[in-house]
Amino acid sequence: MRKKILILSVLLLAVMMVAAQCGGGEAPTPEKEAPAPAAEEKTEEKAPAEEEKAEEAAPAAEEMTITVWTKEGEADGGLPFLQSIADAYTAENPNVTFEIVNKDVEVLREDFQTAALAGNSPDLLFTVSDHAGPFTIAELIQPVEGLADLGQYVDSAVAAVKLDGKIWGVPASNGNHLMLLYNKDLVPEPPANTDELIAMAADLKGQDIIPLVFNQTEPFWMVPWLGGFGGSVFADDGVTPTLNTPEMAATLQFMHDIKFAEELIPAESDYDGSDTLFKEGKAAMIINGDWSVGGYTDTLGDKLGIARIPQVSATGNWPAPYTAGTFFLFPAELSGAKLDTAKDFVGFVTNEENQVKMVEELNRLPALKVALDDPAVTENDLLKGSADQMVVGVPMPTALEMRCNWDSMKPELLAILSDTKTPEDAAAAMQTAADNCLLTLE
Amino acid sequence: MDSLTLDVIVRSISEVGGTVAFIVVGSIILELVLFLIFKVILKSPHTLPIMLLGPAAFGMIVLIIYPLLWELNLSFTNMSLRRFGDKAQYTWIACQAKPENINFWLTDCLFKNYADVFRLPVLKQVYFFPVFFRTVLWTFINMVFHLVGGMIFAILLNQPIRGRGIYRTFLILPWAIPQVIAVLAWRGEFHFEYGFVNLILVRLGLEQINWMTDPFWNFTAMCIVNIWLGIPFMMVILLGGLQSISSDYYEAAEIDGASGLQQFTNITIPLLRPVMTPAIVLGTIWTFNNFNVPFFINQFELETSDILVTALFRAAFQYNRYGFSAAFAFIIFIILLLYSIFYIWISDGLKEVYE
Repeated sequence: MRKKILILSVLLLAVMMVAAQCGGGEAPTPEKEAPAPAAEEKTEEKAPAEEEKAEEAAPAAEEMTITVWTKEGEADGGLPFLQSIADAYTAENPNVTFEIVNKDVEVLREDFQTAALAGNSPDLLFTVSDHAGPFTIAELIQPVEGLADLGQYVDSAVAAVKLDGKIWGVPASNGNHLMLLYNKDLVPEPPANTDELIAMAADLKGQDIIPLVFNQTEPFWMVPWLGGFGGSVFADDGVTPTLNTPEMAATLQFMHDIKFAEELIPAESDYDGSDTLFKEGKAAMIINGDWSVGGYTDTLGDKLGIARIPQVSATGNWPAPYTAGTFFLFPAELSGAKLDTAKDFVGFVTNEENQVKMVEELNRLPALKVALDDPAVTENDLLKGSADQMVVGVPMPTALEMRCNWDSMKPELLAILSDTKTPEDAAAAMQTAADNCLLTLE
Repeated sequence: MDSLTLDVIVRSISEVGGTVAFIVVGSIILELVLFLIFKVILKSPHTLPIMLLGPAAFGMIVLIIYPLLWELNLSFTNMSLRRFGDKAQYTWIACQAKPENINFWLTDCLFKNYADVFRLPVLKQVYFFPVFFRTVLWTFINMVFHLVGGMIFAILLNQPIRGRGIYRTFLILPWAIPQVIAVLAWRGEFHFEYGFVNLILVRLGLEQINWMTDPFWNFTAMCIVNIWLGIPFMMVILLGGLQSISSDYYEAAEIDGASGLQQFTNITIPLLRPVMTPAIVLGTIWTFNNFNVPFFINQFELETSDILVTALFRAAFQYNRYGFSAAFAFIIFIILLLYSIFYIWISDGLKEVYE
């Protein structure tokens, strides 16, 4: 009897071990690898016909819910805008409903990777271009050449999601870049350079106004200054980190000085804190992205001004924020009727009418070429300021190696802003961390 | 938003109905299989208990044993973003060259991830041992305050004082609030500009504190929140233990002339030990593994505030070091297992449970 039970137990354990090995097994199964290329071929064949059909009725009549994960937030107006477009689509196609979920940018990336690992991806992503890097490497999204007529979008926006010769996202807005937004009641004229910025800070502090705020927790807000000091996070090959440089040390020194020596920025400030201080009129200027303009227009109205981030007086260079846009990414596993509907919805969001609506409500530069000629764009002063900032921006790197740079810069930036490291040590530590990180990508 | 109509209720039930039906049908099939094997084939006299335990055992295998084995397997692999998920492109780490000695075999082949936990930074800058010792410090500080605070409140509430029920309710309140909600609320209160902690400090004429960027104060904020959260649990456990101690012991001690301190050390503590031991073991493991408080209070992601489990989360889900993280998780598991065995052995805390 005991022997039989022992045999049964051993058999059960063996089955579990085999199952565990299969779960993370070695041989790629054709069935699992098939969806992405299959979907691509299928949609490529259908593409010409669909371009002609443009924005006609939804292709599928079956009841379905499309889950969209987006980085668009409530406070910026992006989430309500996307929801209103989804509602309009549902009004035209009652069989399709949407579940739109807001996630912070980095949380969206992490959650999508985890969800994809568990085979439980959302149906559509609406996010930033640099997510395309890790998602394509992990084969989590599918190329979009067959899913949209990419020729109708601004070339620079499309180029922002081009990796390995393929396009991985459909652009909805162009830019997504940082700029200087200021309260005209507190700062009639924006500072042209960092010397002016520092000079006007004394007056503002005398009035108990914080001169400048920005999200101090993310290196995305530091990188423009790095450009201003003449540095870049990558060598010319676009994948080798160059973080331990005199330019980076100068940038970190500048970040340290505006906090501790000049006291231009608050002791602590994350995204929401900065946003609130600016909206409440407690901060005169904020460095934030084009996604935030809609929210500030609602709060400040005509008092809102947009300008370039002040020129770095020490070098004479303009800070160079990263430019890209916002994009719809299609998960690799999306196929069939849901893929057709998601594709149709993306076409709906980026049609001329809705692109102009986005300009009017959110003050973002459209990705659709024809929308650029609309008076809503050409006669919009805020967009002029945003476009002027874009001129000195640089394209956001989407290579996977950029993740190593972001992750390596963050703790060191925090160390500088908590005055626990010297700029030189922090720059060296960034480089070491990025080099170590590259090894883990192999 | 949909109102709660019959249609909505039916739709909601139908969404979970499939899962419930699957569990019910699965359980029935499992019971039949067990009956066939143990009653019909093996003719075992223990068929009934086996059938009663069967579904729970199966659940444990599927939900605990299988993930553990999967993770153990993962810890030997090179899974990363380039070799990701069900694409099944990751493999066990193979030796690049012929292993020259056992040491090389241990550190650069199959067990490379385990060796990497100790020889590479577990995050971007910090190595394993600083994070480990910080975790021990975090656990020690919290457990001391939980135990002392819980004991003080338990003794107070064990006295015949007026309004005892109301005090008890208020003191248990932190435990009743979902932890993430409580932690996020606390994080708001540590905000430099708008948090009440700094506002009070300013009113008192003191300097504001950089709770989010200063490593020391951020760690302190984590401890404050976790102590606030953890005292009610210890208080409830100890109060239960105190109420089970017969007053006869204390009366006898008083007749013998024992002081309050002597009664506490010679009656209360020994008689509380069967209750305290599992509470301390559990509390230590929970604190050691507490994710919500260190992760959410450390909003700026200071590496100086990470403890082992938050570092593990970041390694796995922010930095995508999957094989490494699986090995890291096993090392944490082994540390806690050894601690639990050691503590139970040294304290003889479960002796009375066995007897």
